[in-house]
Amino acid sequence: MSPLSEIRFVAQRELGKSFRSAKGIVLLVLSLLGGTAASLLLVKVQQLKHEKMPNIDPESLRSIREDAATQIFGDPATGKALADAPEVLIAVFLLTIWITPLVISLLSFDSVAGDLQHKAVRYWTLRTRRASYFIGKWAGVFATISTMTFAVHALIWVVCIARGEAPAATALGWGIRFWLLTLPMSAAWCGIAILVSSLFKSPIIALLVTFATFFVLFMFWLIGGVTHANALMYVYPNFYEDMLVNPRLDRLMTGLACCLGMAALYIAGGSYLFTKKDV
Amino acid sequence: MSADEVTATNEASAPPPAPAPEPPAPAPAKADAPAPMPMPMSNPYAKDAPEGTGEIFIAEGAKKRKKKPVEVAIRLTKVTKRFGPKTAVDGVTLKVKAGQVYGLIGPNGAGKTTTFSMMAGFLQPTEGVVEVLGYAPNQVDELRSRIGVLPQDALLPGADKVGEFLIHMARLQDIPADRVEDSAREVLAEVDGRDWWNVKCGSLSHGMAKRVQLAQALIGDPEVVLLDEPTAGLDPRVAYEVRQLIKSRKGRCTLIVSSHNLQELEELCDGAAILDRGRLVASGSMTELTASSAEIRIKLSPGPAPIPLVRDLPMVKRVDFDDEKRELVVYFERAAGVDAEQVIGAVLWVLLQNQARIAAVSKGRGLEQRVMELTD
Repeated sequence: MSPLSEIRFVAQRELGKSFRSAKGIVLLVLSLLGGTAASLLLVKVQQLKHEKMPNIDPESLRSIREDAATQIFGDPATGKALADAPEVLIAVFLLTIWITPLVISLLSFDSVAGDLQHKAVRYWTLRTRRASYFIGKWAGVFATISTMTFAVHALIWVVCIARGEAPAATALGWGIRFWLLTLPMSAAWCGIAILVSSLFKSPIIALLVTFATFFVLFMFWLIGGVTHANALMYVYPNFYEDMLVNPRLDRLMTGLACCLGMAALYIAGGSYLFTKKDV
Repeated sequence: MSADEVTATNEASAPPPAPAPEPPAPAPAKADAPAPMPMPMSNPYAKDAPEGTGEIFIAEGAKKRKKKPVEVAIRLTKVTKRFGPKTAVDGVTLKVKAGQVYGLIGPNGAGKTTTFSMMAGFLQPTEGVVEVLGYAPNQVDELRSRIGVLPQDALLPGADKVGEFLIHMARLQDIPADRVEDSAREVLAEVDGRDWWNVKCGSLSHGMAKRVQLAQALIGDPEVVLLDEPTAGLDPRVAYEVRQLIKSRKGRCTLIVSSHNLQELEELCDGAAILDRGRLVASGSMTELTASSAEIRIKLSPGPAPIPLVRDLPMVKRVDFDDEKRELVVYFERAAGVDAEQVIGAVLWVLLQNQARIAAVSKGRGLEQRVMELTD
C-alpha cells in the first residue's frame, strides 16, 4: 500500500470523526452562527449605508472601498484590486483568518494526543507508516477546517447574492477566491497544531501548549510590527495575508510559498519526531 | 535446552549471531499445475523434525504480496531498552521459530511488555536488533497484514462502531476492497461478537472490548500474532473462550503470548522465555522449562511410602521425598528409550505393589514452581 493510500484512509477517518464528534458539531454550529451573525451585520450595514448615503454614486463607493483596502493591506495596488470586491466578503476573509487558529486549536488538540493518551495509536502504527499517520491527521484536520470555513463563506455568498449586494458572478468569483486564500494559512496553522498535539500524551496539555504557541507567534508578529523587525513577523502564518491578496503574481506566489513552506516544515518536522517517538 | 530449537541468552559481550540462511525460494508453480497446498505444521520440538530440513512455515490468509517464507518468526539480538536511567530490558537475545506458541513470562516489571512492545514496533530498542519475519518492526509495508498485535492497554476508539473500526483496520492492512467487510465480520464472529457490529466501541464491556481487540489482531489471518495479557481482567468463561480461540490458531501462525497466568501459558505454549528485572533468566521448550522430561512428581496419601524400592529402579537417578507434603520427586536419566511415561509406569508399579496410595501424578515441576525458582 502506498503512503498516499495510508494518508487517505487516516484523513478520511479523521474528517468523519470530526464531523460526528460533539466537539466538531459544536464548532461547526458556532462557525455557522458566526457566519449568520456576519450576514445580519451585513444587512444592518447595508441598511445604514442606504440611509446615510442614499445618493452616493458607485464610483465614490468604489473609491471608499479602495482606500479602506489600501489601509488594511498596506498596499495601493492591493487596494485598487480589491476595490471591486464586495466589502462584506473582505470582512469575512479577515474574520476567517483571525478566527481560524482558534478553531484549529480546539479541533486538533486531541487529534494525536488523544490517541497517544489511551495508546489507541498502536492500532495505527502497526498498519501505517508513522509519517503517513501524522500527515493523515494533518490532512484530516485541514480538510475539516476547510469545509467549515467553506460553509461559513457559502452562507455569506448566499446572503450577499440574495440581498443584491453583488451579482452572483461577482459574489462567487470573489468569494471563492477569498476562501481559497484562507487555505494556505490554515495549512500552516494545522501543521503547528498537529505537531504540538503529537508531542504530548495529555490532550489538555496539548491544548494549553497550542494556545501558548499561537499566542507567542502572535506576539512575535505584534512586536515585529511595532519594532519593524520583519524577521520576527515571518513566523506568524497570518503575516502573509497581505501577500496572498496582492494582485502581483510574484507577491502572491511568495505568500503562497511561505505559507505552504511553513506547513511543510511543521509537517516534516512533526513526522520525523513522531517516527522516532515511543508510542 | 536445545539451542537449535529455541535460543535465548543475555550474552552482552558476545558477537551477534550470524543470521540464519534464508531458505531457498519455492519454485514457481506451473500455470497448469494444481495450486500447492500449504505446508503442514508440525511441532518444532518434535524429535523427528531436525533443524534445516526445509520445514517452512507458510501462513494462509489475506493479501500478502511480499510474503517470503521464514523459519524464524521473531529474533531479538542483544536488545536493550532504557527509559532514562532505568533499564527495562537488558541485552535479551531470543529466537522464536515460525509456527510456535511462545510465552513471555515474568513478574511485574520483568520487561515482558517492553519486550513485547519492541517486537510490535511501539518502542524502539536503545541497543540491539529486533526482527519480525526478517524485517525491522517499523517496516510497516513489508509486515502489513503479516503481523497482528493485541496491545495490553490500548483503548479502542470510543466513538467508532465496532464494524467501522474493524473495516478501517482491514483497509489499512490492504485487504482487497471486496473482502474488507467479510474479513471484518468473519473475525468478529470468530471472537463470538457478531452482534456487536453496530455497537460503539465506547459502549463495550471490558470483556467485549478485549475480544474486539483480539479480532483486530487476527484480522487478515496474520503470520505472527502478539498477544499481551489476552485474558487479563476477563471472567473465567470469557478467558476460557479466548484460550480456546488461541488454541484454534495454533499451527496457523506464530503466537507470542505475554501473561502472568502461568497455568494458561503452560497449557497454551510450546516454549517460553522467563524474564526477571529486564534480563532473560531461562528459555526453551515448555518440556525443558518444566523439566517434564527429567522428573516426575507423585503425591501420596497417608500410608506406606516404599522410597528405597523406587530408588533401586534402574532408570532412576535420584529420589526426594517430602514427608510433610507426602510428595515424591523422582529424577531420571533421559537415556534412549526412557521417557517420562515409562518412568511413571515403573514407579507406580512399585508403589502400588507395596500398598502405597497414589493421590496425584505429574510430569515436571510445573511452570509456576519453575518461575518461582528463577525469579525474585
